[in-house]
Amino acid sequence: MNDIVRDKAAIVGIGRSQFGRFLPESQLGLGAIALKGALADSGLERADIDGLSLHMGWPLGLDYDQIAEAYGLDVRYVNQMWTHGRFIAYTLQHAALAVISGMADVVACVTAISFTRERDILGGPGDMEGMREGGGTHGESPPYGLTAPAAGAALAYQRYMALYGATPEQLAAVPIAFRKHAQRNPHAYTYGKGELSVADHQSQRMIVDPLRLFDCSLISDGAVVILVTSAERARDLKRKPVYISGMQGLRSGREEFIFAPRGMGLNQQSGKRAGADERDLAVYSMAGIEREDIDGLYTYDAFSPLPLFVLERFGFCAPGEAAGWAQNGRIELGGELPMNTSGGLLCEGHIGGWNSVYEISSQLRGACGERQIADARHLQWGTCWGDSLVFRN
Amino acid sequence: MDISQKPLPRITPDTEPFWAACRRHELLLAECHACGKVHLPPGPVCPFCFSDDLGWRQASGRGQVSAWTVVHKEWFAAFHDDLPYNAAQIELEEGPRLTANLIGVDNDKITVGMAVEVVFDDVSEEVTLPRFTPAA
Repeated sequence: MNDIVRDKAAIVGIGRSQFGRFLPESQLGLGAIALKGALADSGLERADIDGLSLHMGWPLGLDYDQIAEAYGLDVRYVNQMWTHGRFIAYTLQHAALAVISGMADVVACVTAISFTRERDILGGPGDMEGMREGGGTHGESPPYGLTAPAAGAALAYQRYMALYGATPEQLAAVPIAFRKHAQRNPHAYTYGKGELSVADHQSQRMIVDPLRLFDCSLISDGAVVILVTSAERARDLKRKPVYISGMQGLRSGREEFIFAPRGMGLNQQSGKRAGADERDLAVYSMAGIEREDIDGLYTYDAFSPLPLFVLERFGFCAPGEAAGWAQNGRIELGGELPMNTSGGLLCEGHIGGWNSVYEISSQLRGACGERQIADARHLQWGTCWGDSLVFRN
Repeated sequence: MDISQKPLPRITPDTEPFWAACRRHELLLAECHACGKVHLPPGPVCPFCFSDDLGWRQASGRGQVSAWTVVHKEWFAAFHDDLPYNAAQIELEEGPRLTANLIGVDNDKITVGMAVEVVFDDVSEEVTLPRFTPAA
């Protein structure tokens, strides 16, 4: 399996629109800006794109057929996941698998979303996910007033605090770090808004206890396009390829709760926690590296507890230790393990997490200026639900 | 969807006996006759041994809070007058967990591990919701 995947596909073009709130463009308009940018970046032509892979479909984003029709594409491969943040890694993985298998030559991962135009999708009456039989996908339970994804993260961190003695103040380390990163990123929505202190964090209004305003991602609009092709073709293109070295899928089962580490006692989890296991760590062996080789970690930070839980999922910290470990700048640029160096969903923009894929690619090209991770060689995307990709330059 | 009304559970063939029992003010757990384990949410097979030989067992109605939160933001208009309101995951004595609200306790007094027991709230003619209150 390692030989099939390792370094056989690469990101060769990246593009994006402005990130902001209440942007005037339609999702199609934002996507067109990002696609033009990615094509120019890669040196590829529009006609070279013969595959589409995406997860943020209508109405928050765009469906594949709208994209192909509006941009005049003629593709032979399509993959569309749920309109759901958890499928970022899969969307990129399927693009890689399509070019590795020959089902497509160049796959465009197109994410163009407008949270401000589609506000009732988040916890409001347009959010049908929570109504699912047996409970929503983040632990929602609308009859009891849990209609928004944030509640799942709040429940998880409340339990985490009770089990391990962690505090709401420790949670502040996450938005403090990512806001600091965003101050070095002119593209970030919070650029120029200054750094945060623990007092700033604690003075904000409570959203869903213990999550305060800065613990919840930005509600924003924007687009990112990522172009993926085979390593062989990538070598002939304009840019130094960003290789996909390893990948693994998300985990699911009664021991899993989307917004908590495995076995922590949420929903039907047993409450028997254990450190990272072989399945959690497969991505490193596929990439042919050790966890210690990771120079930066990127994750879906819709809510502040999630980056802490990622640290435990992948064994950077033992169970219960991440909230303490993340203090004192350890997850900041210049720290032991920089995370979400562009500011992430919390401080750069919520582009479904693709803003972080853009950042990973820029970092591995050495193009991040004053927020560049020195000598970045291996960067990881990983989420607290267990999926991951390892990238190298 | 009518956002002036609070959402009601979506009742399916798998969950109908659970909700019918709630209307009688009884709390049921799905029970496997093959392996003897109980589970929630109710399903067509035992998630542990995959047997089809399922029945129902009455729960004691006692349990403890395993996780909780208090919602301060209005996402859904029908809950406007309740803000701020709590919701919790309750670990029943028999093991499975349910999500519900806690009543009869101040939101700032809720703790993980708090002992609770079920009470039933007839929210409409067709639906009764289990909620929980501190154990006597």
